[in-house]
Formats: sequence, C-alpha cells, structure tokens
Amino acid sequence: MNRSFIARNPSVLVFLALLALFTLVVSVLSEGFGIGLVSTSFVKTLGKTLCLCLIAVAMDLIWGYAGILSLGHFAFFGLGGYMIGMWLMYERTRQIVVSSLSEGVLPPTPEEIETGIAGQIFGVVGSADFPLIWAFADSLVIQLALVVLVPGILALVFGWLAFRSRVTGVYLSILTQAMTLGLSLYLFQNASGLRGNNGLSGLQNLPGVSAPQSVVSMWFFWASALALALGYLLVAWVVSGKFGSVIRGIRDNEARVRFLGYSVESYKLAVFTLTACLSGIAGALYYPQAGIINPAEVAPIASIYLAVWVAIGGRGRLYGAVIGAAFVSLVSSWFTGGQAPDINLGFYTIQWVDWWLILLGLSFVLVTLFAPSGMGGLVDLLMRGKKRGGNT
Amino acid sequence: MKTMLLTVLSALFLCHGGTAQAQTVQDILQSQRALIEQSSRRTIGPAIDAIADSGLAQMQSVLEAWQAKDMWQRLEDGFFFAAHKTADGSYELTDFESGAVIGTYPKDALAQIKPNSGIRAMIATALVRFQLSDPDMARRGEALDSIARNPEAGLLGPLRAAIPSEKDPTLLARKLRLERLMTMSYDTDTAARVAAITAMAGDLGVDFRATLNPILTTRIVVADAGVTPEGNIAATLVPGEAALSRDAAYALLVEADKAQPVLTPDARDAGLEAHIESGRIAGTPIAKLDTETARDAAYGALAAKGLVPLLVHPPDIDASLANHQFFSIYHEPSQQVTEAAEAALAKSQSRVVASQAIDLGLDALSLASIYFLAAIGLAITFGVMGVINMAHGEFIMMGAYTGYVVQQFVPNHTASILVAVPLAFAVTFAAGVALERLVIRWLYHRPLETLLATFGVSIALQQLAKNIFGTQARPLTAPSWLDGAWVINDVVSISYIRIAIFVLALMFMGLFVFIMKRTRLGLETRAVTQNPRMAAGMGINPDRVNMLTFGLGSGIAGIAGVAIGLFAKVTSEMGGDYIVQSFMTVVVGGVGNIWGTLAGALMIGGFQKGVEWLNPSNTLAAQTYMIVFIIIFIQFRPRGIIALRGRAAGD
Repeated sequence: MNRSFIARNPSVLVFLALLALFTLVVSVLSEGFGIGLVSTSFVKTLGKTLCLCLIAVAMDLIWGYAGILSLGHFAFFGLGGYMIGMWLMYERTRQIVVSSLSEGVLPPTPEEIETGIAGQIFGVVGSADFPLIWAFADSLVIQLALVVLVPGILALVFGWLAFRSRVTGVYLSILTQAMTLGLSLYLFQNASGLRGNNGLSGLQNLPGVSAPQSVVSMWFFWASALALALGYLLVAWVVSGKFGSVIRGIRDNEARVRFLGYSVESYKLAVFTLTACLSGIAGALYYPQAGIINPAEVAPIASIYLAVWVAIGGRGRLYGAVIGAAFVSLVSSWFTGGQAPDINLGFYTIQWVDWWLILLGLSFVLVTLFAPSGMGGLVDLLMRGKKRGGNT
Repeated sequence: MKTMLLTVLSALFLCHGGTAQAQTVQDILQSQRALIEQSSRRTIGPAIDAIADSGLAQMQSVLEAWQAKDMWQRLEDGFFFAAHKTADGSYELTDFESGAVIGTYPKDALAQIKPNSGIRAMIATALVRFQLSDPDMARRGEALDSIARNPEAGLLGPLRAAIPSEKDPTLLARKLRLERLMTMSYDTDTAARVAAITAMAGDLGVDFRATLNPILTTRIVVADAGVTPEGNIAATLVPGEAALSRDAAYALLVEADKAQPVLTPDARDAGLEAHIESGRIAGTPIAKLDTETARDAAYGALAAKGLVPLLVHPPDIDASLANHQFFSIYHEPSQQVTEAAEAALAKSQSRVVASQAIDLGLDALSLASIYFLAAIGLAITFGVMGVINMAHGEFIMMGAYTGYVVQQFVPNHTASILVAVPLAFAVTFAAGVALERLVIRWLYHRPLETLLATFGVSIALQQLAKNIFGTQARPLTAPSWLDGAWVINDVVSISYIRIAIFVLALMFMGLFVFIMKRTRLGLETRAVTQNPRMAAGMGINPDRVNMLTFGLGSGIAGIAGVAIGLFAKVTSEMGGDYIVQSFMTVVVGGVGNIWGTLAGALMIGGFQKGVEWLNPSNTLAAQTYMIVFIIIFIQFRPRGIIALRGRAAGD
C-alpha cells in the first residue's frame, strides 16, 4: 500500500528529497554543526518557517481539499505553543527556584518550591497560586500529549457543534473566526491562568540543557524538518486514498456526496480535528524557537494570513501550501524587518515597512481574481509542458 | 503649661464676652487677642468660635480679612484692623466696625496676623455660616457644597438658622435635604435622628447612602463564651462564615491576648535555623528537613525542650475559637438609630437595584444600537446580496476618518458633523462601488473567494490609513450640545451621544425599510437577489443594481463610522473591532432580514451587558462568553433568530 502510494505520488518523493537536501545544506552551513555561514537567528527563522509550512499543509488539507475555509487554525497553533510553553516555563523556573532556595540553611520543601515557582511565574498578573490548568505542567510527557489533545478536543467539540448544525461555507469561516477571537480575548485576561497579555516567555531555553543556542536551534530545526516531512507524508497519504476522494467530493458538491450515503459531517469532523492536531504540533515546535508566545499571536488576523499563504501558494496541492507559506513569510519578514531597500520616487519615498502590507493585500486580491491556483499553478504549467514535450 | 494658661484665660474671656451686651467688633477681638496673636492651630478654635458666634454682621469681613492675611494689629494699642498696602509702602487701616479708613501707618508700626493653612481652613468653616445667608446666591450654593463635602456637627445649627430666610426654591430644597442628612448624623436628639432617617428611607441619592454608611459602621469585638459585650450589637459572628474568616477571627484573638500567635513558616524556619547543633536540629539531620511535616516535627521537639515558643496546631485554633464569641458592634451607640438606618438602607438598596436594572437596560440598548449601526450596512451587502465584505469594518473606519478630516477644515463641530455625514456617505459609497466593480463582481459565484479578496482589501486599506494618519488615535469631537448626560436619578443616567446613536440607528432602520420596500431600487435589489436571470429578463440591469446596492451598504457603513467615531477613538484598526461583531449580529439575527439584524443586535448587546453586570471588572470575559454563547445559539437556530422561509431562503 505504502509503496504504491509513493509510486502514485512522485511529487511527495521529490518534496521529501528537496527537504532533506535543504536540511543538510543548512546543517553544514550552520554555526552549531557546520562552517557557520548561517547565523543562529537565521536558523531559527528557517526552523520557524518550516513550522509555518507544516500548518500551511494542514490548512491546505482542510481548505484546499475539504473546501472548509477555517479561520481558526492559528488558534490551534497557538494552543500547541501554550501547552509546550507551560512545561518549558515551569521547568526552567523550577530549576531557578530550587537553586536559589538551596542556598538557604534548610533544604527546600516541595511546598516552598511550589510557592516559589508560582510567585515567579504569576507575579506579573498579581497572583501567587497555580491555576488548575497548570496541574500537569511539571510533566513533559503529559504536556506533550496535551499539545495534540487540547487543539484536537477543541476542534472536535467546535467542529461537532458546527458541522452538526450544517454551518457551511462563509458562515463556518465567520464562526471559526469568532472562535479565534473568543480564544484570544480569553487569553488576554489575567484570570485566564496563562499570564494574560504577558504570555509565556523564555521558551528558547531548554531546561536541563547546557548546550548553546546555536546547537539547540539546530535541534529544533531538525525536529521541525522531521515534523514537516512526516506531516506532509501523512496528509499526502490521507488525500491520495478513498478518504481523499470523498473529501474532495464534499468540497465540490456536498449534497451529492451526502446523497451517495457518506456521512459528510464525520468526514469533515475528522479532517478538522486532524488538521487541528497538526497545527498544535507545528505550534509546539514554533514557539520554543520564537522564545515567546502571547495572545496577540492567536488573534484572528494570524489565521487570515495563513489563508493568504495557502492561497498565494496554491490550494489543493500540498507543495503549493509549503511554497506559499515559506515564500510569503520569508518575504514578509524581509520587508518588515527593514532590510528591503526603500524606493525613492523623488516626491515620495516608499518605505517597505509601511507599504508591504498594502502590497500583500493587493497581491492577494490579484491572486484571488486572476490566479486561483496560486504559485503552485506555475509548477502545474511546467509539469504539463514537460509531459506534453515527452509525449511528442 | 503656657497653652493651658492661655486656654483658661480665653475661656474666661469667652464667659465675659457671652454675658456682656452690645459689644463692638474690637471688644471681641481684643478679648481673643492673646489667642489671635499666638496663631496656633491647636488653640485658635475658641477665638474663631467667639468671633463667629458673636452675632455681629461685620464679623464676616473680619474673618475674610483674617483668612486673606489682611488683618493687621496696630502695635501702639494692639487693636486689629483690615489693612492694605498703599503705593508708598505704608499701610492704610480700615476699621471693621464702621468700615471707615482711620489712617495710614508705616509698616513698622504694625504687625501682620499670619494664619497658617490649618487656621485658614478653620476660618473657612466658620465663614460658612455667614455665607449660608449671603445675599449672593452663588455663594450660598458654594457654602452648601462646602458643608456637604465636610459636614460637621457644629454646622447643623447655622444651617438650620439659615433655612427660614432662604427665598430661592432650589437652594431651599438643598438646604432642607442637607439639614435632614446632617440631622441623621449629628442631632443630639435620638428621636429626631430616627425621624429624619425614616422620612428619607428609600431615597436613591448617593449622599443619603453615604450618610447612612458611617452610622452603620461596625467593629468586631471578641468576648469570652457566655459574656455579652457592651454596646450596640449588630450581629453575632461565627468564624468561618463570610463576614469573618477563621484566620481573621484567630488574629483578633491573638490581638486581644487570648491566644498564641500562629507561627508562620518563616518564623518556624528561623527558629529551626537558630538551633542547629553540629548539623542536626533536635537530633534530626538538616538534610532530612525537606518536607513540611519533618520541619514541624523538629520544631515540636525544640518547643518541647522549651527552646522556642510553642507551635499552634489546627486543633488548638479550633478550641480557641470555640471558647470565644465574636460580635460586630456599631460605632453608633443608639440602637433605635441603627435599626432605622438599616431599614432605610435596605429600602434604598432595593430601589437602587431596580434602578441599576433600568440603567443596565439602557446600557444594553445603547450597545445594541451601536452594533446595529455597525451591522446595518452589512445587512444590505451580506444580508440582502449575500456578499461577504470583510472590508466592511474598513468602510466604517473610512467614514470616521472622513469626519476627522472634515473637522480639520470646519472648526464648528455642529456644522462639521452635518458636512461629514453626507461626505462620509459619498466617500464610502464611491469606495464600495469601486470595490464591487473591480473585485466582487467577478466573484459572485465564489463566496469564499470574495471573503478572501475583501480580506486583502481590508489589510491594504488598514495599512493605507496607518500610513496616512499614523498609528495614534485621532479625535472626532462631538458638538457641545451632545456633551453631558440625561440624569434620571443618581443611579440611572445615559449620555446624550448614546441617545443620539440610538436615534440614528432608528432612523437608519426606517431608511432601510423604506428603500427596500418602497423604492424602485429596493424592488430591483430584491428581484436581483432572488433570481438574477429572471430579473434581467424583466428588464432590470443586474450589474447596475448590484453596484448601487453595494454602494448603499458601504455608504451606510461610512455614516455609522462617523457616529461610532464620536464616542470611540478613530484608529486604523477600529474596523477590526466591529467586523466580527457585525457579522455575528447579522448571522445571529438571520440573514436577509432587517428585523433579524435588529433582534441580533439587541440580543448580543443585552447578553454582553448582562455578563458585564455579573462580572463588572472584566469586559474581555464578557466578549468571550458572548462568542461562546453565539456559537451555541447557532446550534439551535442555524438560520438565526428570524429565519427566512420558502423561496426567499434561497438555497
């Protein structure tokens, strides 16, 4: 089965080979393990980009293949980040607290350590107790499970409610956006137990690891590349089989698929939940590289940008999503980072920091209007041209 | 000693002053001369009282001169005069009694009386009684304000005396009310106080409640079991209930020396650390003391040897608490007064709650009208045409910025708003038509892509506004006649701007219904929406109708932007604050129906205010719960509150 799946989808193999090559090149050039041509911060940027590619693949599955324009997947991404962030922050603070308490005459008691950690973490929001949701923060295994479970269960409940009542199309998009807005507003509260708008910080430090950031960043880069490869394989496998045919059918004509006897809601729910879990994993790998997560990351606009990437990259083709996410997020950070040269028109200087969003917005309109298949469409054109060339 | 002597002296003078008839101003001032010259805050009281109580009308100018540091003493005989500096540096003295100028003296023949700020405040209080009968109405009003701010027992008499002469009905009512309030607190006759409290029971005024609350303040008193303490007992408290936590109760016992203090962990650890003997504490190795129980045990062992104070265990706390009673006792000694005050406050409180409910209703209504206003443009473009326009919020923003720009050119606020409203409509109408022609018209059969494309437009417009106007909020000032609020009572009030927005929302609603039901455009819009091809067959140009309808919806968003800008800050991100709520309003209400949008706005506004009322500190929570509520609501009515049926429902 697996062999035939790869054989039927040569593009998957090509993608994996390219990803492996890219990873190898970056490793060789990195500061941590190679000749140091690529700086640590750029390795982090690349690693984060790989995570964004992973969530874009998930977005492509739900939108490009199942036709559900979810404007809430960045919320799942953020939740994944929060879940791993809780453990990272708890464990690091615990080590600091223990080492400072050990300087006292008496050995620290568990209660003292707990109070010390709570004071350190929640002092900024005027609290000194652990909220209930931090109950498992001391266990890496449970928090890793929660990275998948929390977004998954939220998606399951929300999706069940939404699909059951046959909310479709733009209504569903607006409803998912409302969910994202609700979640980010909730996280903004100090009482949310996740430090309000301070968010979780210091996530780039792995507790108990003394290796320098240049090495740690490479670990995360590899982990991100591996996650992207596995996620890509999984999604490619999902869409290649009968399941993929059914969800494409739902996208193209939901009523007809329902009349054929398929439980449309179950398929949608499965896709929605699966992609939410993938997003959670992507987020859990992204935020330790970013170092900080706060509720602004979960705001509705982030999920909209996700849709923008996938649309520009090209829906309905997984490599399109990857290309779009990588291209737009890297170009975006290039423009907004102030590195792009300003254009002097004589009477006015175009500063890209200010004008990039306008360019992005307008190019998005143009892509939607004139190139619905996005940048991935170019690959299609090339392929078709080659095939035709081979035939004649 | 000197102070005491002076007090006795002044008391003698006072008696003397009280018995003598037909005194002059100077007599009284001379009788208080020692105190005035000493000018100390602690001793000056009797002097000021003597002057103020003399009954002489001229004393007001004496006190005013004194307060203004214009009272000088002539050194040759010690007499007091009002003085003011002449051009050549000497001083012209005026007699208080007659008001006549009695001559000019060089500065070294005089001494200035310099009251410090404390004394000046006391003089100001004494002056109040003169001001209460001042011929100038404004000064009488100020005097009442001053008493209301700082009521004192001594002012009750002057206030009562000033009532019969009051001619102005408003001031008379204020004086009477203040007299009632002060009677409650300061009258010596209990019956009069009870009568005053009972008469005003149920009053909604903040001042009334503020007067009652100090009467009802209590302190908590500890007594041994079976002993009833003296005083006006309000209640018997049980430790552990809401009014008195166990910790607080035990702290009271400790304070009253009836129990051992509970040892804090820090104190315990300090005790342990003080008794380390060769790496062990009470025989336990230090390394073993890494749990709370181990530390407690070690401390107990130390305490048993008498080396440290005893540790109080939870059972000890229970026993101590059980052996004592806790009472809350009113500071106010009279039980009749406190009972009447409790009853009156309860009556007021229930009326306050009722008024708060009304106030909340008004708030909810005004929030609903804001949502309605923001959503009504969408009710046209999304509700009627079925076009998702994510740039709708940016049209609201464009309208608000139009208003801001107009105000830069038209300084008169009323005129500028009158110009801004049609201009905002024109600008956003044009923007809407352009958007429809350039983007949306190509995507009528692909609604998800309309959503995305208009997102792109929204991002671009938002950034454009940021580039032009900067990131800081711009003011859009309302005309001054919209300032202030309609105050119904001390609890219920609503600002005029909110009333204006409510009225505006009603007007738009009427306009919408009129256009849709009574005009050619409305008819054609409905026809094109239901069946574009058949409408085209009937001679309607669908392109033109779509363009105009979309322009109309956008134009209304622009006007809503002006209205919203009047009370909220105009920023490039303001559109984003309303877009999700607006879509929710339309979806919850039911697409394609203006009454549904109205119902949706009312429901969302009401729900949000309701949650805010339950949890007033947290408006973010209110919005979160509102969204959760909407998601659940859509489960039960997927097509909204007012769902279209039959053919109008479309698909």
